[in-house]
Amino acid sequence: MSAADRPPPVTDDPDTSGFWEAARRGELAIRACSDCAHVLHLPKGYCDACGSWNTEWRVVAPTGTLYSWTTTERELRPGFEPPYTVVLVDLDDAPNTRLAGLLDGRPELRIGMPMRMVFEPIDADTVLPQWEPMRGPT
Amino acid sequence: MEQFGHRDQCAIAGIGATDFSKSSGRSVLTLATQASLAAIADAGLQPQDVDGIVRCDFDVVSHNDLANSLGVTDLSYWGACGPGGAAPAGMIGQAVGAILSGQASTILVYRSMNGRSGFRLGKGRSQELTGPIGGNGTYEEFFVPYGLASPGQMWALLAQRHMQSYGTTSEQLGHIAMACREAANSNPGAQMADRTMTMEDYLASTMISSPLRLFDYCLETDGACAVVVTSTERARDLARPPVLISAVAQGGSRDMQGGISSPILMRPDPMELPSRRVAETLYRRAGIGPSDIDVAQFYDCFTITVLVQFEDYGFCDQGEGGAFAESGAIRKGGSLPINTSGGNLSDGYIHGMSHIVEGARQMRDESTSQVPGAETCLVTSGLPISSGAMILRRDS
Repeated sequence: MSAADRPPPVTDDPDTSGFWEAARRGELAIRACSDCAHVLHLPKGYCDACGSWNTEWRVVAPTGTLYSWTTTERELRPGFEPPYTVVLVDLDDAPNTRLAGLLDGRPELRIGMPMRMVFEPIDADTVLPQWEPMRGPT
Repeated sequence: MEQFGHRDQCAIAGIGATDFSKSSGRSVLTLATQASLAAIADAGLQPQDVDGIVRCDFDVVSHNDLANSLGVTDLSYWGACGPGGAAPAGMIGQAVGAILSGQASTILVYRSMNGRSGFRLGKGRSQELTGPIGGNGTYEEFFVPYGLASPGQMWALLAQRHMQSYGTTSEQLGHIAMACREAANSNPGAQMADRTMTMEDYLASTMISSPLRLFDYCLETDGACAVVVTSTERARDLARPPVLISAVAQGGSRDMQGGISSPILMRPDPMELPSRRVAETLYRRAGIGPSDIDVAQFYDCFTITVLVQFEDYGFCDQGEGGAFAESGAIRKGGSLPINTSGGNLSDGYIHGMSHIVEGARQMRDESTSQVPGAETCLVTSGLPISSGAMILRRDS
């Protein structure tokens, strides 16, 4: 089994599609309230902070810090050859807002290290935002 | 002390369980029926006496399936609770609510699964889905394409964080696995009855998703458990000593998330788990505190799940769960013996329902690791999506 067997994300859900549209443009966007700026993550259409239904996709910096990680050593489903490492990254531009990523093997990681987003095309229509450790001086 | 509405008003009048195995060779309905018949007989009742049924939302057996199988002739109430392992305490809560509001008098609460030979929850709920993943409020599109599909990985990410924040160690998790195994070694019905575990064994077990090893993971089990809930007044006239439901509570986190399992990692603070709030509500309703608890059955899908509950249920300070685990308190003879049948980790994984059965055994002096003189037992259900717990008490 290879990466080609990995399940692609649904990208046309009414609540989450803006994230994937931004990814196709090479941008990271999170959903936020247009009226009070409250971040709505995971993406949803109603702002529970101010009661507004006016939301927007806010483009933010594709950088963050590592919140946690785990290296999976057993095959769970086809397409993910162990060992592989799942990362959770806090976005620099949006406190307490985070996204997952996938790295091959058992990379050297530490919680709090700077990470940057890379955009991985997985088919003609879908780009998967991924994370990698930031190299060099930071 | 304020008297809370449902305190001690209902009781567990009967308990039942099947054998726990890797391959039952029976349908989930047969398992549910066997456990239910055992619980009904234990109470000294007949299936025709049952007028209510409460199930877990993940159970493939529905209330009408079970009523038909048992020959229940006058079903007047049914309900369901979830998600999954969070259900059992909430299921008891529904039964209590139905009884105290006069909607039913004798309620069967059950969980049945071929969790090893059938659908294996440990691989994640999406394991059989093909094609694009996610949407429809599942939010799985943010997780499964990244290889994050299982509850074990989610708890591994929380464990890694706990280790970083508080210096929690693998050995401390190992003490939880060993306490459960020690209890299972005294329980002939446990799946791990004959398999001892040393710290060396624990540390040598294969890494599944770092920092969690094989022995941090619960078992996968074919089996079923059931209990009969009725009013305390009526239970006193039945066959067995009533096990009082002193209090039951459910709760979520301040910041809920949609979906199942992995989305909790996107809460502003994933380490703030619903068990903290459940504990506050539960102790207030029971009118007692953690120092009054004699024995506990903690939901243990993973060792780390137990460790964080030590903190949330007030048996130690935040961040001190690891130190509490290795202190000896949780083992036989300690101040808070846990999971005295072996728990999900070493008895069998019935999604939290066996914890209620074992809690009742403790209150009836029937545990294979009986805590002498135990008057109160804390029983918790699954987390981290939402959770529930209950305090059982011996009738006085």
